[in-house]
Amino acid sequence: MSLPQFRLLRPRSVEEAVGYLATHASNIRVLAGGTDLIPSMRQKLFEPEYVLDVRRIAELQGIRPQRGVGVEIGVLTTLNAIEHSDFLRKHYPVLTEAAATVASPVLRNMGTIGGNICLDTRCLWYNQSLTWRKACGFCIKKNGDLCHVAPGGTKCWAVFSGDTPPALLCLNAEVEIASPSGARRLPLREFYTGIGDDYRKLQPNELLTRVFLPESSADYRGVYRKLRVRGSIDYPLAGVAVVVKRSDGHVSDARLALTAVNPAPVLVKGASAMLSGKTMTEELADKVGDLAARTAKPLTTSALTPEYRREMIRVFTRRAILAIANN
Amino acid sequence: MSDFSIIGKPTAMVDAAGKTTGAGKYTDDLSLPGMLVGKILHSPYPHARIQRIDTSRAEQLDGVVAVVIGKDAPTPYGILPVGHDEHALVTDKVRYVGDNVACVAAVDEATADKALELIDVEYEVLPAYFDPEDSMKAQSDFIHDNKPQNIEKDYHHVFGDTEKALAEAACVAEARFIANEVTHAAMEPHSTLAAFEIDSHTGKPGRLTVWSSTQVPYYLQHKLSLVLEMPMAQIRVIKPLVGGGFGGKSEVIPLEIIAAVAARKAQAPVKITYTREEVFWAHRGRPRTIIDLKTGADKDGHITAVKARVVQDGGGYCSYGVVTILYSGALLGALYDIPNIQYDGYRVLTNKPVCGAMRGHGTVNVRFAFESQLDELALKLKIDPAEIRRRNLLKPPCVTINGLRVQSYGLPECIDKVVERSGWRERKGKLPKGCGLGIACSHYVSGAANSIIRSDMPHSTVNIKIDRDGGVVVYTGASDIGQGSDTMVAQIASEVLGCSLGRVKVIAADTDLTPIDIGSYSSRVTFMNGNATLRAAQEVKKLLIAAAAKKMNCAAEDLVFRDDRVGKKHVAAGDSPAQDGRGRPSPHELSTDGQASVSGRVEGQILRGSLQQKRKDEGPKDAMTFEEAVVAAIDFHGALTGTGSYAPPQEARGGKHKGAGVGPSPAYSYSAQVAEVSVDEDTGEVTVHKVWAAHDCGRALNPVSVEGQIIGSVWMGMGQALTEEMVWKDGMLMNPGLLEYRSPSSVESPEVEPIIVESVDPEGPFGAKECSEGSLAATIPAISNAIYDAVGVRLHESPFTPERVLAALRAKKAEKKIDLTEGVDPTAPTRFREHGGSLWFRGKGPARHPLDPARREAPAGGDD
Repeated sequence: MSLPQFRLLRPRSVEEAVGYLATHASNIRVLAGGTDLIPSMRQKLFEPEYVLDVRRIAELQGIRPQRGVGVEIGVLTTLNAIEHSDFLRKHYPVLTEAAATVASPVLRNMGTIGGNICLDTRCLWYNQSLTWRKACGFCIKKNGDLCHVAPGGTKCWAVFSGDTPPALLCLNAEVEIASPSGARRLPLREFYTGIGDDYRKLQPNELLTRVFLPESSADYRGVYRKLRVRGSIDYPLAGVAVVVKRSDGHVSDARLALTAVNPAPVLVKGASAMLSGKTMTEELADKVGDLAARTAKPLTTSALTPEYRREMIRVFTRRAILAIANN
Repeated sequence: MSDFSIIGKPTAMVDAAGKTTGAGKYTDDLSLPGMLVGKILHSPYPHARIQRIDTSRAEQLDGVVAVVIGKDAPTPYGILPVGHDEHALVTDKVRYVGDNVACVAAVDEATADKALELIDVEYEVLPAYFDPEDSMKAQSDFIHDNKPQNIEKDYHHVFGDTEKALAEAACVAEARFIANEVTHAAMEPHSTLAAFEIDSHTGKPGRLTVWSSTQVPYYLQHKLSLVLEMPMAQIRVIKPLVGGGFGGKSEVIPLEIIAAVAARKAQAPVKITYTREEVFWAHRGRPRTIIDLKTGADKDGHITAVKARVVQDGGGYCSYGVVTILYSGALLGALYDIPNIQYDGYRVLTNKPVCGAMRGHGTVNVRFAFESQLDELALKLKIDPAEIRRRNLLKPPCVTINGLRVQSYGLPECIDKVVERSGWRERKGKLPKGCGLGIACSHYVSGAANSIIRSDMPHSTVNIKIDRDGGVVVYTGASDIGQGSDTMVAQIASEVLGCSLGRVKVIAADTDLTPIDIGSYSSRVTFMNGNATLRAAQEVKKLLIAAAAKKMNCAAEDLVFRDDRVGKKHVAAGDSPAQDGRGRPSPHELSTDGQASVSGRVEGQILRGSLQQKRKDEGPKDAMTFEEAVVAAIDFHGALTGTGSYAPPQEARGGKHKGAGVGPSPAYSYSAQVAEVSVDEDTGEVTVHKVWAAHDCGRALNPVSVEGQIIGSVWMGMGQALTEEMVWKDGMLMNPGLLEYRSPSSVESPEVEPIIVESVDPEGPFGAKECSEGSLAATIPAISNAIYDAVGVRLHESPFTPERVLAALRAKKAEKKIDLTEGVDPTAPTRFREHGGSLWFRGKGPARHPLDPARREAPAGGDD
């Protein structure tokens, strides 16, 4: 499959990049690691006139701890760098664990944290070649008006399949977004819309630049559990991230987030309340597992059946909580 | 004589350096001046009649040189003489999504892609058939007009009295098994480059040269001649390096014909390389197979009868289908001693990509069913699974009830070895909760005794030429597709001639240069081409012997050729001045050989000057170098050439019943495996920890290569057992890529302990048999049996995905059922569209057979 023709823009600063975005807003795609965009362009899911290669913008690289505040991670930081960061492993272990499960080592060398946050939502009926989609009939997410997952429906259910965002949600991450009018900060949980074909709140002239993890979320115990068929390469078919802070044997604070079972990564509402102030027992883990399974809305967007994936959200949540309890 | 100097030693592949450094050339690496890129327009419909094709807009696009459609080459072809049902490009109907409609030859890929968009095709959509059992009930709109009920071929074999034996059996097991469709997923996508020479006399396209990723250059040459209506002599097929075939390149693949047709029309070289998606559409993999199996045994566990009804979902064309369905029945025999066999096989056409030959052709899915059922019988009879297999061994030499001749038979030793190495007796049934051991056996042909082209010509012929400087050139038609046949041929030639491997150069798989060999499939190459090489080497060696005997003044029988030396037998190897204890020229000997070293002798080579010097001091000798023997022989005989060929013996060619031609082989390989697995009872995930795999390959010519083949077979079998499945919806392949079609990654690859068993076949070259396919079939039932041992659930449908395992576990425990059929979001519809019977999308699907495992495991679905 040939790559469509495009003009490559290679800015050296955020200002320059945002300038290009503003000029070509309707016809430009941002390229960082390229592990998501390039295959999609070959499949003609995107045929932009311009590709904005942001990899030369040095200020978007690196992990920078800020005493008393937290840590700032440039969006171009590779998943491999996150996986192997001693600082993150010590203070935000759920993030390194999630980063280590993304795809395969080769792809983690290319893929970035920003790309993982902005990962396009995925669906078996969408991530296919142009020829395939023509034969099947175009869907809401690209060129069409019907949904193969929920025929008759008008909403796109393409599923968010990033591994790191549930961990970041648990850590109360914020993201910085640059635009011609300056930079703004947004809690990550407000970044996603839950709509498959319009999954993030990022205007065409905006660029995701940094991720912030507050110091208040540091040193939580955390676990990420990922359902996949193979031990490598695969996108998650369901994912559970849990962070817990304990004092005196009780949970003082906790958060639980899911991925790959909804069009957005989601914090499970009520999980914190259910866990806080309690001792982590099997019964409690079961209860939280049930809650998580009710939050998940898997559909036939991915391999394995929806009911099985929902069931695994229950099992993985329970296991994640017990893993923290027994650690 | 078990003391070999070349064979039996781990030997690096002769083409390894090119492959590891990247210098080696695969078809897609090739280009020619003025070469165009070909792109194929594929059908978007599973079944439709073409009303009209208009290519004019595409032809007018700048950069497009030619557009070809069906009428440019309307002669049908097919790999089997009985199955000429394919065209280069369809002429009347498309029969699967991905069928080949038109091809554009353009200056580059982007232009060709653009031109495809400009071809206007009007289709009349026809009712399509996706499920073989539905397809067999069709009353109209048959996929091929001459195949009523869409049945490509059915066979009904009865050997002995199965009904009586089953009625009298002490114990009978009966079940339906389903093995879902899998494909080869070879690393190299298919690629073909076709170029015509301009005929000097007519100015029109004359001779054709085709470079292609093929396992069967001679079949390709033949089919090209048929479709292009050219004499075979005008067509040259060359096989460059091939990045894996596994059967997916063992017949003529559409792009190979299309590239040639396009090159003819464009009057320029045309290269087509498939995208991965196109590889999935070209397919020719293992069909989804429905097996209704009934096995009876007496109270001691001796199998008394087997009755099998097999339905294969063959896809839109015949391909190797007739052979596949026959193998499925024939190879019920030749593994165990079974006195009564009844087989009803149906190869059914459906509107899906075409199934063909894949590693373990025809045997794998039935073996999964049989070995699973054998364990059920063992359980009922309270006999250890390894023991029940031992009780049903053949007693070779023998001919089975269905006419298969078995000579060498290493199965007993294979079973013993895996039982011993795996600690079966001590550990079976005593592993921790959720862990289990399973055993299974399998076998495979070492080439078919009857070739598909129904001719009495030899299946392999090899020529050898020895040059004056002692270089040995072997011309073989054998196609090295990564399995190492070039290395095997070089090893055999150098072993027979007693020269070092470095002297041997293999020229292979070029129809202009190499004599005919019918191809690399059904594990025939080592046995057949190896035998032809052996004979060719022996023939040319006769010339060397005659000359050397004269020179050395001794009888021909007294000569020994070994390690680049010709010596006399009565001089013990250790005493020979030419050899050290390990049979290699000693450094001492080399340094005293003043003439040679002064004139620049290097290993395996000698310069002309030294040869001329050597010839001066003639006279009887006790020993000669290989080069001296060669020079002497050329002086005596002129050219030094030899030829050898192989045709399977008449006794091995099977019975007389209809379809008896498929199954017979000059020799069978045998395999036994034990798999150790653990099952996560909450998730249904199966982990394979270790597989002990013993394989009887007759003799291991290159042990490292044999081990590689065993490990590869186990790994590929594990893929089919656990993760690999082609998933269909309305004839659309949902996973036409290596991301969603999940071959195992290195992370979940278990440790495989390959164990080589050598039964030394009386007819194989140095006793060798096949080693690259037979092991695969045992892996799937070994894993299935291990899952049963671990958690007590019997899986009837492969692959054993976590959801299927969990559903079975839930059913066993009578816990809350897991619905494997539908979406669970409250806003989701209650029914999905019709589909081809796959697990993911089983909504309003076809009615399932009462014994269908999916139906039993998930009765809550909206199946009916």
